[in-house]
Amino acid sequence: MRFVVLTTAALLVATPAGASEDLVSGLSQDTVEITSNYTGTDIVVFGAIERPEEVGSNDIVVVVRGPTADMTVRQKEWVAGIWINHDQAKLVAMPTFYYLASTRTLDHIAPAFTLERYALGLDNIAPTRIVSHHDPEPFRQALIRHKQAEGVYGEVPGGVELLSPTLFRARIPVAATVTPGQYNVDVYLLRDGTVISAQSTPLYIQQTGLERRLYNLAHVEPLWYGVLTVLMASLLGWLSAAAFRRNE
Amino acid sequence: MEIYLPIAEMSVHWLILLGMGGAIGFLSGLFGVGGGFLLTPLLIFYGVPAEVAVATTASHITASSISGALAQWRRRLLDLKMGSVMAAGGLGGTVFGVWLFTLMRRYGQMDLLVSSSYVILLGTIGGLMLNESLAALRARRGGAGPAKRAPHLWMHGLPFKMRFRESRLYISVIPPIIIGFGVGVLSAIMGVGGGFVVVPAMIYLLRMPTNVVMGTSLFQIIVVTAATTVLQATTNYSVDIVLALFLILGGVIGAQIGVRTGERLHGEQLRLLLALTVLAVAVKLFFGLVLRPDDPFSVSTGGP
Repeated sequence: MRFVVLTTAALLVATPAGASEDLVSGLSQDTVEITSNYTGTDIVVFGAIERPEEVGSNDIVVVVRGPTADMTVRQKEWVAGIWINHDQAKLVAMPTFYYLASTRTLDHIAPAFTLERYALGLDNIAPTRIVSHHDPEPFRQALIRHKQAEGVYGEVPGGVELLSPTLFRARIPVAATVTPGQYNVDVYLLRDGTVISAQSTPLYIQQTGLERRLYNLAHVEPLWYGVLTVLMASLLGWLSAAAFRRNE
Repeated sequence: MEIYLPIAEMSVHWLILLGMGGAIGFLSGLFGVGGGFLLTPLLIFYGVPAEVAVATTASHITASSISGALAQWRRRLLDLKMGSVMAAGGLGGTVFGVWLFTLMRRYGQMDLLVSSSYVILLGTIGGLMLNESLAALRARRGGAGPAKRAPHLWMHGLPFKMRFRESRLYISVIPPIIIGFGVGVLSAIMGVGGGFVVVPAMIYLLRMPTNVVMGTSLFQIIVVTAATTVLQATTNYSVDIVLALFLILGGVIGAQIGVRTGERLHGEQLRLLLALTVLAVAVKLFFGLVLRPDDPFSVSTGGP
């Protein structure tokens, strides 16, 4: 009996507060499998605003955040005629993936303090801590610029399409260079600059099949992995020499 | 079709991988060098993380060197004893080099170390070889005889002398061991086989006969790059076996074509070609160091 009670309680907790009233959303897929021919894919986030009484002022913001990692940004300086890495900043626990789509530009949707509080927008991505002897802001901006160029950070006003007053859809590109792990897809409903409902759905991006096994082998049994690589290289080298010899 | 590389964590079209491997393999067979000094910058330029490029290139060189070496060894163009002495020094150098590689990476000075080592080494060797081969070509055109016998070098007076029958040499083992050690270090930190150092060192310092130089240098390169692959895999987890497979498939075919092409060309012309290639890479890397970068900031995951 106790088990049943606990399970029911867990289900109640798992249901996002408020989501049942104002906002429902879903993903086109909850798992992305990185296989040998993975070149990136699109995730479609779709949903409905329930009870859209004040239609004109509803805004939807969709944010996909990837697993965090520590990142080091280095700045080259002109020293004795050559450009070498000089100053650096370590940004602790930055998201490896951050993609935001919204119905309009963010500054039209909500005031700055709201955007900052919910970490909405590239300007509001912040590490938990910065280790640097210098002004960290240029380093943080450089990181965001690099990640945008890599295709793993993005901010697209208008990226959320309203198909009707109640239905919305957003397409999130998942680049080929993404870090595997658990992602969170957060959908925010804002009305007159206030977040009135939010829903979070996990998205799993994982390497599968042979790739996963090779990745595991490389990290769990690196010696055997190294020996396997050398054996493969030797065999291929020998085979090619033997094959060409026969043709002579 | 694009192929996902599990360690580099990126997708690359398989034809591009085969093409890069093939081009480098061709040079490998032609010159008796590993070609890593071109492949590593090529991979980094293509967006492969530097540590993956360095470590994976080593295994590519193992394969293309074996392919090229068997062609040489069938004609007995190999000094196994000399190769073994140099490989022993090379193993020590590899261990030291991987340690240095890990240390420099921690301080964010990997790029500087790699680029400046490339510029200095390739610039010096390329210049020396260009000079030498131009002189040889002029001498041939002038109808002069072969170069005079080399003067006796100071290093030939060192102790622990050993007879190397195939090289027709009776010299101390110290210079070959030191050369092997240095090349082992280069293999680990630059992702090169070191043929561009070993071949001139054998010819100009050890005075080995040119015909056994290629087979012997390839033997030494095979041992050192195999050791580098295993050490990088266990220390930095940066060997990408899928990337290696495609580079090798292209490389072994290119190497066979290279060896056959090399047989039809004169030694002086070969050396002139190699000198020009080496100098071109050195100049390009030199400009990378002294010109203002487009973006002074760089990002790496992880931290010191």
